[in-house]
Amino acid sequence: MNKLKMAWASGIIIVVALIVFAFFTSTHNNTPTVNPNGRLQIVAAENFWGSLASQIGGSQVQVKSIITDPNADPHEYESNTADARAIATANFVIINGAGYDSWANKLLSASPSSTRQVLDVASLLGKKNGDNPHFWYSPMYVNKVTYQILQDLIRLEPNNKSYFSGNYQKLMTSLKTYQNRIADIKRHFSGVKVAATEDIFYYLAQASGLNLVSPPAFTEAVAEGNDPPAGSVVTFEQQLESGQVKLLVYNTQTVTPLTSNMKDLALTNNIPIVGVSEIIEPPNTSFQNWMNGEIINIENALNMSVKRSP
Amino acid sequence: MLRSLAVISNTAFSWNIAQDLRSMWQYAFMQHAFEAGTIVAIVAGVVGYFVVIRRLSFAAHALSHVGFAGAAGAALIGVNPIYGLLAFTSGGGLAMAALGRKAASRDVQIGTVLAFMLGLGVLFISLYKGYATEAYSLLFGEILGISSTDVYITLIAGILILIATLLLYRRLLFTSLDEDVAEARGISILGMSICFMLLIAVATSIAIQVVGVLLIFALMVTPAAAAQRISGRPLQGITISVIISLVVSWIGLFVSYYVAYPVSFFIVSAAFAVYLATRLIPQRAARS
Repeated sequence: MNKLKMAWASGIIIVVALIVFAFFTSTHNNTPTVNPNGRLQIVAAENFWGSLASQIGGSQVQVKSIITDPNADPHEYESNTADARAIATANFVIINGAGYDSWANKLLSASPSSTRQVLDVASLLGKKNGDNPHFWYSPMYVNKVTYQILQDLIRLEPNNKSYFSGNYQKLMTSLKTYQNRIADIKRHFSGVKVAATEDIFYYLAQASGLNLVSPPAFTEAVAEGNDPPAGSVVTFEQQLESGQVKLLVYNTQTVTPLTSNMKDLALTNNIPIVGVSEIIEPPNTSFQNWMNGEIINIENALNMSVKRSP
Repeated sequence: MLRSLAVISNTAFSWNIAQDLRSMWQYAFMQHAFEAGTIVAIVAGVVGYFVVIRRLSFAAHALSHVGFAGAAGAALIGVNPIYGLLAFTSGGGLAMAALGRKAASRDVQIGTVLAFMLGLGVLFISLYKGYATEAYSLLFGEILGISSTDVYITLIAGILILIATLLLYRRLLFTSLDEDVAEARGISILGMSICFMLLIAVATSIAIQVVGVLLIFALMVTPAAAAQRISGRPLQGITISVIISLVVSWIGLFVSYYVAYPVSFFIVSAAFAVYLATRLIPQRAARS
């Protein structure tokens, strides 16, 4: 190995490094904002927020939701350039936040823009990383987010204020159906003990007055793809076997052998089982129809196993 | 069929490559991806060459996963994940070097250290009250989600790693090719082993945050393995390894702009295709 060759090789490396540097100084065009048909481009990280935004924006907006597959685990998403480009050129981006879609934060910071409006649901609700991120299962939070989407759209296109407001009123009326049903469950089944395999059910149980008794250590571990502590598994099994639990809610998108075991155990103990998903299912339906369907299933299951209180 | 058609994005590809590149570099995220991808490819091509001749690809794989435990630990005590990554990959690298002094016995020591570190990672994740996706997202770093600050950090780290490699070059090569003779000449095998493990540790820690575990591991091993089959001479080998690593990264990013599948898939596939192609070259007698 002579020194000359070594210098030659390191020379190449330095030259290439300089080329990299040249990139930096090259004109850093601000990302173009393309508005085909003059419609506002909205990107929602998940389709539940996308569905709400498209109902308020109506014909004035074009909404692209990135996570739309009810059969995939949304915690395990990997970005592609089409999604990154959509975020780069969007006028308005809605993300869930609280660590649920940290990839979206990265895509946003990779495409800085001074004109883009960003709605981070978690920070709107005063939540932080580590809090339960399934905000769309709380009717109160959904109403808050819906209102904020309206405000953001009006800020982006003040000319369409009355159009957006009209759509917002229609949406709020439509949301009432499932929200009234939740109130109905609260009226008749308040305090009934229920279990869930994942912490997706937390906010809904709160809103409907149901007493979610399944050990948090278990539901959190399942949500995070981790092993639940053995003690929490034992507690969970006892709750199902003793018959104190009247309903088992399981997350159809985070299924593990352990959650399947719990399902089987509930089945043998005649506890009704209801599946809920993280993402709108089927994907072409609206947010409120999806929610309403899930809540009807929950109410029917409760009717089967518990006597309605007047 | 319909599904696969739908996935092709509407941005048109033309045979005017310069025009294509200009149109993708309009996007800041594509620029950052090419910049960071280039730096990581150069560093991985150089460091990877030694990884391959020292037969340390398992160690490189292990260190990138040990980083996971570190990131989880950092999340637990609430500090920036990069400190956890650096602490754990360096610690893991030291342990692997110290336990497996000779190449022959290293395999098992790396496995045991890796298993222990992964166990720690699982513990930290369950102790951590937050949402674990954050820690997991480190494992799959987003090459399309690189900010300009990330690019500068990568650039500085990359230059430091290349300088360190240059300074250690002769001794590193000597101990890699013939441990016994090098030891007889008074070079500390353990010392070099530790130095090199630390080098991989720093390289992976920086690259994990930017391009993710899969890419750093693929770029460290595959291009260098292909280069080794093309040339037995170290300097040529390193140069070829850097070139392959650069070319596959660029091809992967380029293709992914038009076909909406994950970038890492394209880069790893391109690298593997190059490696397979070099397998067709009849292996010449090993030269040193």
